[in-house]
Amino acid sequence: MELNILIAGVGGQGNLFASSILAEYVLKKGYKVFAVETIGAAQRGGSVVSHLRISDAEIYSPLILAGKVDILMGFETIEMLRNFELLAGDGIYLLNDYKEPTVLCNMEMDAYPSDEEIRAALKKSGKKGYIIKATECARKIGGSLLTNVVMVGALCQVSSPFDSQEVKQVLAGKSPARAKEQNLQAFDAGGSLIQEAMRKA
Amino acid sequence: MAEQEYLMGNEAMGRGAIEAGVKVVAGYPGTPASEVLEYVSKYPDVHAEWCINEKVALEICMGASLCNVRSMAVMKHNGTNVALDFMMHLNYTGVRGGLVLISGDDPAGISSQNEEDSRIITRLDAHLPVFDPWCPQEAKDMVKAAFDLSEEMELCFVVRPVARVCHGRSMVSLEEIKKGGESHFEDDRSRFIMSALMEVKDGAALNRPVVRHRWLNQKQAVLAKVMEESPFNHIEDGEGKIGLVACGIGYAFVKEAEKILGKKFPVLKLGTLPLPRNKVLQFAKKMDRLVVYEDSEAVVEGILKQLFYDEGLKVEVVGRSGFLPSEGELSATIAVKSLVELYPELEKKMPATVPLEMKVPIRTRTQCVGCQYRGLLHALKLTARKYKGVVTGDIGCYDAGSFPPLELQSTIYCMGSSIPMASGIAHSGYDRPVFAIIGDSTFFHNGVLGLLNAIHSGVDLVAIVCDNRTTAMTGFQPHPGSEINVRGEPAPAIDVARLATAAGATSARVVNPYDIPQCKEALEKAVKEKGVSVIVATMPCYLVARRTGELGFTPRKVVLDEERCNGCKICVTFFGCPAIHFSEGKATIDYGTCVECGMCVEVCKRGAITWS
Ligand SMILES: Cc1ncc(C[n+]2csc(CCOP(=O)(O)OP(=O)(O)O)c2C)c(N)n1
Ligand code: SF4
Ligand code: SF4
Ligand code: SF4
Repeated sequence: MELNILIAGVGGQGNLFASSILAEYVLKKGYKVFAVETIGAAQRGGSVVSHLRISDAEIYSPLILAGKVDILMGFETIEMLRNFELLAGDGIYLLNDYKEPTVLCNMEMDAYPSDEEIRAALKKSGKKGYIIKATECARKIGGSLLTNVVMVGALCQVSSPFDSQEVKQVLAGKSPARAKEQNLQAFDAGGSLIQEAMRKA
Repeated sequence: MAEQEYLMGNEAMGRGAIEAGVKVVAGYPGTPASEVLEYVSKYPDVHAEWCINEKVALEICMGASLCNVRSMAVMKHNGTNVALDFMMHLNYTGVRGGLVLISGDDPAGISSQNEEDSRIITRLDAHLPVFDPWCPQEAKDMVKAAFDLSEEMELCFVVRPVARVCHGRSMVSLEEIKKGGESHFEDDRSRFIMSALMEVKDGAALNRPVVRHRWLNQKQAVLAKVMEESPFNHIEDGEGKIGLVACGIGYAFVKEAEKILGKKFPVLKLGTLPLPRNKVLQFAKKMDRLVVYEDSEAVVEGILKQLFYDEGLKVEVVGRSGFLPSEGELSATIAVKSLVELYPELEKKMPATVPLEMKVPIRTRTQCVGCQYRGLLHALKLTARKYKGVVTGDIGCYDAGSFPPLELQSTIYCMGSSIPMASGIAHSGYDRPVFAIIGDSTFFHNGVLGLLNAIHSGVDLVAIVCDNRTTAMTGFQPHPGSEINVRGEPAPAIDVARLATAAGATSARVVNPYDIPQCKEALEKAVKEKGVSVIVATMPCYLVARRTGELGFTPRKVVLDEERCNGCKICVTFFGCPAIHFSEGKATIDYGTCVECGMCVEVCKRGAITWS
């Protein structure tokens, strides 16, 4: 068994928390884990990419090979698109329909791709995937900072070896007391969102 | 089974030092290495200290080593450059208590202003032994081994992890924590006085530097033996006559490539410098060609070529000098591609990638929404443009002022260059105002020397110190201007304005960087003065302030009047708060990200943005 998850987002979206929940769960299940994130521009609106590799055999490279990403989680739209080429032939993407314009887009020196363009390109790629409104959902629950948890909740419905109930317990254990309630709510909401998306697909 | 913990490479190295009984850990923040020191600071028996700069950190460690206790210096590659002068002396005297230097490299410069291979200065220049780990567990093992060997060999040992090892997270085994030794000092002037001093050695009069240089060279033979037996080097048999030399993180990528391609290659795994000579020769003799995978310069490749030349061994050696990319970081993808080039029949095993048919906009770094610097930078930009002046820059969050949309600073080099470069521009006879902008941590790091030099040289310039009370860019570490130390305990803070005044600056004005008119007024006055005028823009980093509740503004909703907005775009293309968007000829406020700092109210001269 080998599962490679790539989380692409922008600074402040909590890639690391999402990655560490998933890591803690699979470590408990006895798998090996090797993970890494690009940190540096994390706070100042830069791109942040987390690689999470899970396997029952030895893992050597912390970075996932191009073409070997099984699950591409996009916390932000163009950040996912930027890493799309890394997705395996049978890999799936899970996109949060949320757009954070770049500085150059704000200045109209660059154009943020339109929904039509994005959907067309994704369709043309032939890859399987789901688009959910995780940030919108997070805001309803308590704030956009919950986006990562919504996404993790969604992921657990589409990928083994994650068991929603068990991952939820890990999440509860890792949540600070004041955030626990909302985290668990966000996690469940992510599950519902993806189920709805799957029904529609 | 030994107890294990899921640790980041930096934490694993910190843990290794703790297990080895380290007593003094000193460093200066820098990605990728900062968390090593933060980790050890959780152990109350250890003296952990963020120092003013890396040279000072290494000097502190050597002081501790003189007293027979174990010490560790932590820095990133740029910092190792700063510490090099001292390093070029401590290699001659050697150490007493084990001294380990962690020098974190950032191939591809993901969080740095350059990419650099610090094995070159530490090994090829200072002739210190270097360990190059491939994963967090090995990084920890290397730190521990380095402490023991350092004491045994009386040499400072360097552990040089690359960013992917520093930031990699995996299970790491925990072992017993050894108790560190007690401090005791004994004089040995024949060793610890490095100076041009004649002494009689082996019957001949020799200068001290030559004597100590000879001592260092003689150590190399012993080191070679140690490395021959090191667990960090080994040979793996495989098919074919092309040997893969996997150094440091190169081992991770070579092993991953074997898995992908389903083929076992002959591999020489290397983690030490000097190299295990006999092991290398034993491996190379069976090969026609060697491919060296290393980050990021062709260091081992060069050493191998030299060795084979001396041995008269005919083996072709390729690597980062051309066959593999000479810039950027290695990856498993690069390793796979290179092996497919050597074994074309393996191409079918290469994972297919399908590029997305679409142009994806790039994302450049900027200041956070609500960052106190945005107001100061706006005022500086207005003033600099008005007088057609030049602004030199330095490293830190404020450096994003040099990218679009601000495009303010004209230079960025290394820490502390802004004021000296501004002085040079002024001394060249340039007849417009010259400004230098520098962060507080960078100011203390060595920027202060540039300031003192400028004052003494009689130059006319304006130096702006961005005093946010922290080293924000690298993760909010304290510095000598902060009121706390690494553990959050109170520490005496050094006041930049008082320091500048005492040094003889013409003026030292303290301004609130959120207050654009106040910043403008201070700049206007400073431009007209002779000598060095200092402006200290004091306000805690917004991200820190948001946490501690010390906000530099009273949050209040702002509104944009569409009727009044004439679409001039100044708020987005000149000022550039990311919470202001522009579409269909009008600016809009994105309330999802706006933090209500109100700076844009001052920026919009048409009065289209107002407090609600
Ligand atoms: C010699 C050296 N050491 C460390 C670093 C890493 N580094 C980058 S910016 C920075 C300091 C930033 O602090 P400050 O000047 O206070 O600016 P801020 O980010 O807080 O705005 C550091 C330590 C470096 N680039 N060079
Ligand atoms: S981290 Fe602090 S200093 Fe850096 S850009 Fe953000 S608010 Fe400004
Ligand atoms: S809000 Fe003001 S500054 Fe921004 S575009 Fe409109 S008129 Fe110009
Ligand atoms: S008030 Fe204006 S400058 Fe401040 S965050 Fe909001 S939009 Fe940006």
